[in-house]
Amino acid sequence: MSLVHNFPFISILLCMSAGIFTSVFKPRVARMVTFLVTGTVLVLSAMALSLTMSLDDSYPYMMGHFPAPWGNEIRIGRLEALMATGFSAVLLVSLIPGFERMPGFVSEKKSNLYCIMVDLALAAVLVLIYTNDLFTVYVFIEIMTIASCALVAVRQNGHTLVAITRYMIMHLFGSGLLLLGISMLYGITGHLLMVPLSEAVRQIVDSGQYLGPLTVVIALITAALAIKSAMFPFHVWAPDTYAFAPPLSSAILSGIISKAYIFVMVKFFYRVIGMDIIISQQISPFLFVCGVAGMIIGSVIAISQRDIRRMIAYSSVAQIGYIYMGLGMGSAAGTEAAMFQMLAHAAVKSLLFLATYELINVSGDRKRFRYLHGAGYRNIPAGIVFTVAAMSMVGIPFTGGFIVKLNLAIAGMAFGGWMRALVLVALAVSTLLNGIYFLHTVVSIYRKPAQDMVYPPSEKMSPSAAGALFVSMLYILYLGIGSEPIMRLIETGLKTFS
Amino acid sequence: MEGLLLLVAILLPAIGSLMVVFMPWLNERREERCFFVGVIMVLECIVVLLIALDAERTLVLFEMTKQLPIALRSDGTSRVFSAVMALMWTISGFYSFSYMKHEQNEKSYYAFYLMTLASLMALTLSGTMVTMYLFFEMMTFISMPMVLHSRTKEAVAAGIKYLIYSVAGATMGLLGIFMLTPNIASPYFVEGGSLLVEQLNLPHTAFQVILLVTLIGFGTKAGMFPMHGWLPTAHPVAPSPASAVLSGVITKAGVLCIFRMIFYVIGPDYLRGTWVQWTLLSCATITVFMGSMLALREKVLKKRLAYSSVSQVSYVLCGVFILDTMALDGALLQMVFHALTKDALFLCAGAIILQAGVTRVDEMHNLGKSMPWTMWMFTICAISLVGIPPLGGFIAKWYIAEGALITSTPVFSWLVPVVLLISAMLTAAYLLPPSVSSFFGGMAQGEAAAIAYEKKDPPLMMMIPITILTLAILLLGIFPGFMIEVFTSLANTLF
Amino acid sequence: MILILAIILPIVTGVLLPVMRLKARARNLYMMVCTLLTSVLVAIALTGDFTQLELISLNKKLSISLHLDDLGKVFSAVIALLWPLTLLYALSYMKDAVNQTSFFTFFQMSYGVTLGIAMSANLLTLYIFYELMTLSTLPLVLHSGSAKSVKAGLKYLYYSLGGSAFAFIGLVYLVYFGGGTDFLPGGLFVGVGSQHTVQLQLGYLLCFLGFGVKAAIFPVHGWLPTAAVAPTPVTALLHAVAVVKSGVFAIIRVTYFSFGTSVLEGSYAQYVSLALSAFTIVFGSAMALKERHLKRRLAYSTVANLSYILFGALLMIAQGLYAGLMHLVFHALMKITLFLVVGVFNRRAHAYYIEDVRGIAKALPVLAVVFVIGSLAMTGIPPLIGFVSKWSLAEAAILSGGLLPLLGVSALLISAVLTGIYLIVPAVTMYTRPPVIPAPQKVESGFYVTLLVLSAMIIALSFYSAPLLDFLYQTALGAI
Repeated sequence: MSLVHNFPFISILLCMSAGIFTSVFKPRVARMVTFLVTGTVLVLSAMALSLTMSLDDSYPYMMGHFPAPWGNEIRIGRLEALMATGFSAVLLVSLIPGFERMPGFVSEKKSNLYCIMVDLALAAVLVLIYTNDLFTVYVFIEIMTIASCALVAVRQNGHTLVAITRYMIMHLFGSGLLLLGISMLYGITGHLLMVPLSEAVRQIVDSGQYLGPLTVVIALITAALAIKSAMFPFHVWAPDTYAFAPPLSSAILSGIISKAYIFVMVKFFYRVIGMDIIISQQISPFLFVCGVAGMIIGSVIAISQRDIRRMIAYSSVAQIGYIYMGLGMGSAAGTEAAMFQMLAHAAVKSLLFLATYELINVSGDRKRFRYLHGAGYRNIPAGIVFTVAAMSMVGIPFTGGFIVKLNLAIAGMAFGGWMRALVLVALAVSTLLNGIYFLHTVVSIYRKPAQDMVYPPSEKMSPSAAGALFVSMLYILYLGIGSEPIMRLIETGLKTFS
Repeated sequence: MEGLLLLVAILLPAIGSLMVVFMPWLNERREERCFFVGVIMVLECIVVLLIALDAERTLVLFEMTKQLPIALRSDGTSRVFSAVMALMWTISGFYSFSYMKHEQNEKSYYAFYLMTLASLMALTLSGTMVTMYLFFEMMTFISMPMVLHSRTKEAVAAGIKYLIYSVAGATMGLLGIFMLTPNIASPYFVEGGSLLVEQLNLPHTAFQVILLVTLIGFGTKAGMFPMHGWLPTAHPVAPSPASAVLSGVITKAGVLCIFRMIFYVIGPDYLRGTWVQWTLLSCATITVFMGSMLALREKVLKKRLAYSSVSQVSYVLCGVFILDTMALDGALLQMVFHALTKDALFLCAGAIILQAGVTRVDEMHNLGKSMPWTMWMFTICAISLVGIPPLGGFIAKWYIAEGALITSTPVFSWLVPVVLLISAMLTAAYLLPPSVSSFFGGMAQGEAAAIAYEKKDPPLMMMIPITILTLAILLLGIFPGFMIEVFTSLANTLF
Repeated sequence: MILILAIILPIVTGVLLPVMRLKARARNLYMMVCTLLTSVLVAIALTGDFTQLELISLNKKLSISLHLDDLGKVFSAVIALLWPLTLLYALSYMKDAVNQTSFFTFFQMSYGVTLGIAMSANLLTLYIFYELMTLSTLPLVLHSGSAKSVKAGLKYLYYSLGGSAFAFIGLVYLVYFGGGTDFLPGGLFVGVGSQHTVQLQLGYLLCFLGFGVKAAIFPVHGWLPTAAVAPTPVTALLHAVAVVKSGVFAIIRVTYFSFGTSVLEGSYAQYVSLALSAFTIVFGSAMALKERHLKRRLAYSTVANLSYILFGALLMIAQGLYAGLMHLVFHALMKITLFLVVGVFNRRAHAYYIEDVRGIAKALPVLAVVFVIGSLAMTGIPPLIGFVSKWSLAEAAILSGGLLPLLGVSALLISAVLTGIYLIVPAVTMYTRPPVIPAPQKVESGFYVTLLVLSAMIIALSFYSAPLLDFLYQTALGAI
């Protein structure tokens, strides 16, 4: 067991301690610490990833001296390490422009509170990625929910408060369902650690006893995670929350945190229950249909939006739909495609929110489209970055979005009949719809504004923020061109996932 | 180079036309220009006569693609048609030297006049279907400016109508050319046709439909029903010498194309007895009848003559469609005589308009008193057109009618003569009264208004061409032997 | 190597243009030099024989690669020939316009992208460049920034995106059933046979409709007439030559080199696509007749003429492809001439409608003659070039037999008549009616040079086209 083996655990520990200590730091120091911690996590995860690439299988890691099933255990494999690397990278790059604009949203006094929440959220994400037992899952989901809430509520205005209330109601409801599900599962199996749990589930399925309750459990947990990740039709809380939060919070929530919930769902399906049961109990077709519906309806509603932030928020709903469509196919290819979309979307969505904020900033802080005309000329880097991100959303080749579409389509081809047709048609229609609102926006930001439009001078974007946005953009382009190694990783990682 | 003469026949008027346009020294005085044009036309007639006396020659101009040569050939038909057309053109040309003094834009008129002659020569001398189509289209475009010469709204509208009908007709003809090309033995015209009937790559019915469409398409230029609509609008609106050649000569180009298609590509044997032949005969007979009826109703002189052309040219087509030697003889005779007659009639009409300001038949009273020579010519031509012996028109119609009777074509063998007879009566009805009233008319209406005109016979330059034509009608009517001989030998090669 | 250079050069020089902040003269010179250089590169490339050049490998089955085969050579040659001429024209046309830098940037970039389409070695590469073409030509349509041009640009965008979305599905079918997207003569399934024939035909049909957006097939042709609002160099080059011919080119590639005639011949996919193209031929011509705005009339004419090319190609025999390619080359030449003439009428004489060009021959005689030549050629009056391509199309149709090809021939002829009416009649009115608009402004020599060169090319090709036709025939044979 080399040093590198410990890195995942260390990264979790680092985040949590940073969270605690940040409460006493001054705001500037707090931000610096958060930044450094995220950077360190990125490095650690990357090294862990290279370690896992050299291993055949994922390895369990004991936390503390007590082995499972009495002590706690996390499991580290290629897929987990890849996700951790990806998410931490996105977070890191988002922090630079995000923090820069922070004074506009958060008062100085509260900004170290904000940093604490970011640290906690990151910690929770990492735990959820690596965890191997359900109890931890529940605890850290709760932590993540609260942290997210705080990330949004820190900006105190009417819209935000309404959004937060809706958010809390739905998420707490989801948490309740989750708790109920986990308790029931404990009740019928007697285990909380995932490995023994999966054996117990096997037994139940083979014997045929308690099959009903098992199905209910699966449904409850799935529904809970679906609510939390804004799957259609449980997405109702998402648009306002993403739209009215500070840009960095929207980036973190829609980009990273929602993916963590889905990752937990995948883990639950593969490691605890087993995909065959998920398919036979009609869970995955349900997810498939919801995914497709979300893809289409999310985009349709996005077209009608007047406020650019809400448009992007609804587009998140649509993009989450892609993930669920892939997951809902039930095949390995479909899940791999969904995983890729998770990575890609994390990057693109955070980039979008941040770039959009920059464009709004140079348009006198107004969000409606007609005020945004010409924003691409007022802030050239943000305009270019927004354009590339929009292209990825639509699925133009050379961007990550195209590879996502390609993978999903090929995964869908393996099925016959209605599922294949639905996948292909949904992808085609979704491309067109995305094009309608995203490329229209791109055209708008490069149009000449009306003659009488006056824009107050605004603070210029710092070079480091521009640089960070560019790095994100390069990452999206990289995903479009060099996705092959990542897909290999996902494929092999998924094999050793369960 | 073999066939050089053929190329000269085309290039001579073409170059002459270009010189009229681009050489300023030619246009300083109109006498010089007229002289030049006259010389060109006479030279052209000489060239054409040389071609007629020479042996058959072929000349390939260029190859559009390997399978589509654009070639000229002077076979029997070419010689006949080109001779007739060139002579008519020259005679009308001389008339126009005097007539056009009163119109604008003479330079463009002569330029297009000569260029149309060039394209007509090329059309008659064409050796393959595609060549014929090429020059057919070209001729449409080049002759159109003559129609809209006066640039009035009416003239321009008429020109455009002419254009559209002609292009539509040519396109219908093109359809046939497409269909026939893979089914014939040689792209060149072959006497008697070269259709490979056994190896047709289409079912016969479809093929025949297309043939029908093709022939109707080419019939547009000849004013055959149902594509006759342009003729009564276009012919009258042009200046009179142009109307003369439009009616007298260019309509024959349409006949030529049909002629070529039937006798040199498809072959009369394939069509004889088919519903295609009957449909064509119906169209032709309908046109004969309809043209005469409409002429009778029409009061404007030039329009009446135009409708008359519609009818008379379809006599030719009737003769052609009977698909028999004697009828074909008659058709060719009718072609010659109609060309001469209609040409002369239009020239007279032009003289009447110019000298007396009269455009309508009900204003022609007493004209004979002041313009005797003109009206005599008019009357002689009218009689010929009706078909009263011994004038030329009679022989032609006789041959057609007899030719129809001796064949075994159902219905049409008696219908054609009957329609011809009725049409003759109608022709008499629409041509003779104005003629008669001009000599024996009562009080002229609008005579006061006509005082401004010098009502006398037109100048010599206009009279001589008319007279030549009328004399030709008389002489050829009395001594048709030579023509009949030529036509019969031609017809014999085709069956 | 030359291939990638030919593509990259215009893109890079285009991107650099706004950065360099050149004054007008210097910028024009720069543009001319770069464009000519690219054309020279293409000319060099035409003479050589190339193996496939793989640029980027996405995974083991999919890569972005370039290759220049006979078909690609035909298309590249047409593009490389017409682009510098249009640039010359554009330099005069845009003389007093605003935002010239952004215009020329995207104009230049589009050149590279179009060459990319011509030189694609597989469907994925073609698809990528195809999408990029939409994006690089969009700003050109939007150029004037007026509400009308924004609407036109968005319409173009949505149609193109919709089309690519469907073409994408076809692409996926190809990847799944064919194991890759390479272009091979005869397609990926030749000799192999496939039990999924019906599926493949469906995939083909989706590709056809998808790429058919740019090829302006009914019912997805709607963007083309609206896009006529763009500046004329854009409409002429892009919407008569580059963009629409790319659509046709893509369909030809997909038909012969991806799915292959062995899969498609005699199938419902062929019938549907043939029927659609035959219908479009008549529809486009009829709509052109109805239209009084000159550029929109020409746009509808393009819609019809593109379907001539497709009709020939869809007959799935060598003669058909040969005829289609002939028309591809000839139509590009004729249509660009017509558009450019009309552009001068628009810009210097403010004549936008049929009624406006009456009598314009007095003031602009040379331009009227050019218009007449273009019109006669488009109608198919022999001996000009339009006739030969129409003839070959009819010949090929008759050769292939069957009801649908025959209907196609009738459609061709009806369209010819309509073309005569909607092009030649205005040409006639240019001479015969009294002028309607006041005297035009001075017409720069740049306009005349371009138009006279183009007219000369039309006339020259009418009489001497043997080597070109031979090459096209060889290309067609090689594709089966």
